[in-house]
Amino acid sequence: MKYVFLLCAILLCSCSSNNKAIKVKGSDTEVNLAVDLAENFYKVNDDFSVAISGGGSGLGIASLLNGQVDIANSSRPLNAEEDSLFKIRGIRIRTVIFAEDATAFIVGKDFPLDSIDVPSLKKILSGEYKTWQPVTGKNTPVNIYGRQSNSGTHSFVSKKLKIQFSRDAKEMNGNAQIMEGIKMDDSGIGYVGAGYILHGVQDQSVKVLKICEQPGQLSVSPMDEKAIQEKRYYFQRPLYQFIPVTSWEKVSAFIDFEKGPEGRKIIQDSGYYIIAHQSTK
Amino acid sequence: MKLALREKIDNSARIIFRTTGLLVIVILGGIFFMLLWNTVAFFLKVKPMDFITGTQWNPSGSTASYGILPLLVSTCLVTLGAMAIAIPLGIGTAAFLSEYAGKRLKNILKPVIEMLAAVPSVAIGFLGIVVLGPGIASLTGEPNGLNALNGAILLSVMALPTIITVAEDALHGVPQTYKEASYGVGASKWQTLIKVTIPAAAPGILAAVMLGVGRAIGETMTVLMATGNASAFPKGFFHSVRTITATIAIEMGEVPYQTTHYYALFAIAAVLFLITLAVNLIGEHFVNKFRKYQAA
Repeated sequence: MKYVFLLCAILLCSCSSNNKAIKVKGSDTEVNLAVDLAENFYKVNDDFSVAISGGGSGLGIASLLNGQVDIANSSRPLNAEEDSLFKIRGIRIRTVIFAEDATAFIVGKDFPLDSIDVPSLKKILSGEYKTWQPVTGKNTPVNIYGRQSNSGTHSFVSKKLKIQFSRDAKEMNGNAQIMEGIKMDDSGIGYVGAGYILHGVQDQSVKVLKICEQPGQLSVSPMDEKAIQEKRYYFQRPLYQFIPVTSWEKVSAFIDFEKGPEGRKIIQDSGYYIIAHQSTK
Repeated sequence: MKLALREKIDNSARIIFRTTGLLVIVILGGIFFMLLWNTVAFFLKVKPMDFITGTQWNPSGSTASYGILPLLVSTCLVTLGAMAIAIPLGIGTAAFLSEYAGKRLKNILKPVIEMLAAVPSVAIGFLGIVVLGPGIASLTGEPNGLNALNGAILLSVMALPTIITVAEDALHGVPQTYKEASYGVGASKWQTLIKVTIPAAAPGILAAVMLGVGRAIGETMTVLMATGNASAFPKGFFHSVRTITATIAIEMGEVPYQTTHYYALFAIAAVLFLITLAVNLIGEHFVNKFRKYQAA
């Protein structure tokens, strides 16, 4: 019996320090970055505890609606349905855009072209072009290396291009496996988060395609920091954090850390970008 | 006092182990009923004929289609391919181990083969991506090696330990008198093996094959990594396929609860369960038959 009391006491103690515990949930794209940020955040603020889990943008937002988390990571804005749900439940939220992600399209390093236009990309990824003939003139079959449908990147690309992926598209288990597949396959095309491309390295084992919106226009590389700053890359998207106003005070230290020089360095080292003049609203 | 204590321990041990035994049955029954329940819910929404004969599995398409045929064909393709490799190799190795290998060699080979079963499936899948895939691609001239053949070869490696171990036991169990009689009428060692030992051990070898099939059908991680998972209808060994297990693994994580798609995953899981159950029952049947035959 004595131990039960002791246990309760411990539980109560751990509950009482709850105002320094931050719960974060949401996007799988952001989860590694958020964990990195939190680990470094501890070094300066060791009295905080930050619990981070993934599960997808939708899950994070749903948890926020149910009042279970303090921050919802999301790689997409709120949709109309979620927005109205927040209004109905009277939860006011603040939106922080803390980084910018770019999706890179990669091909084997012997691919004859350096850039591709969006209409061709549509036809390739939707399976309309079965061979590379119309694009490069080579009569080799197109092999698409994509992510599984539970990936945010998968739905981002298909929404941005307004296509359904070809049914012959391979569904790989993650960005690293797509890289492996493309390295070996000269006829392959795949998409990965820009964080998976080595930055500033000349000797890439894959080629990162530049993208132009219409044939003949200036094409933009996902590794071109200046173009990303000016939002000229076709497949770039902001990474959001949604925070209920009631939790704002508690998490502000963490947000300040993200926005501070140390946080920015971590974000950039992880392969993401920071766009100037973006902040809370 | 001592006797009372011993009886107490005896009794409680009996109760504990009886409960754990019954618990296994309850868990199996529970899983079966959960699968059945969700499958029934699925068939209330989708016609069984569409499920069985549909040639497209595309739950997230604009018009959702739930045809199990491409998945079933993929699973069969990979499993049959694996067995085409593993059965001759496995029985051959088993025969070598039991008839030809010297005692020292056997003492080394048997544990090593059993250790092969301990390699995690994710490691074998990784080998498929970085070693076997490019190898197949360069040998066949295909642009890549993420196809049914890759999965079949990897699965054959995973099924081999089971097949070899069980088949070796079966061959070893054939009474010495059979072989002596065969040698007595002038048969060579090879003739004895082919005409006497293997036919006599046939039920045990069949059991080994069935257990190998069961191992290959249910494997998830390796095929998920090595076969490419394209959802188009499989066209052959050099095309990317998506098996039942891989489909469940890919889609279970993202599906909203209590939707048709969610029930559909349980329905294909139930199909997989029935297949493995049948395969295991057949295997078990042959093991028993072999034992009775041995005892007689």
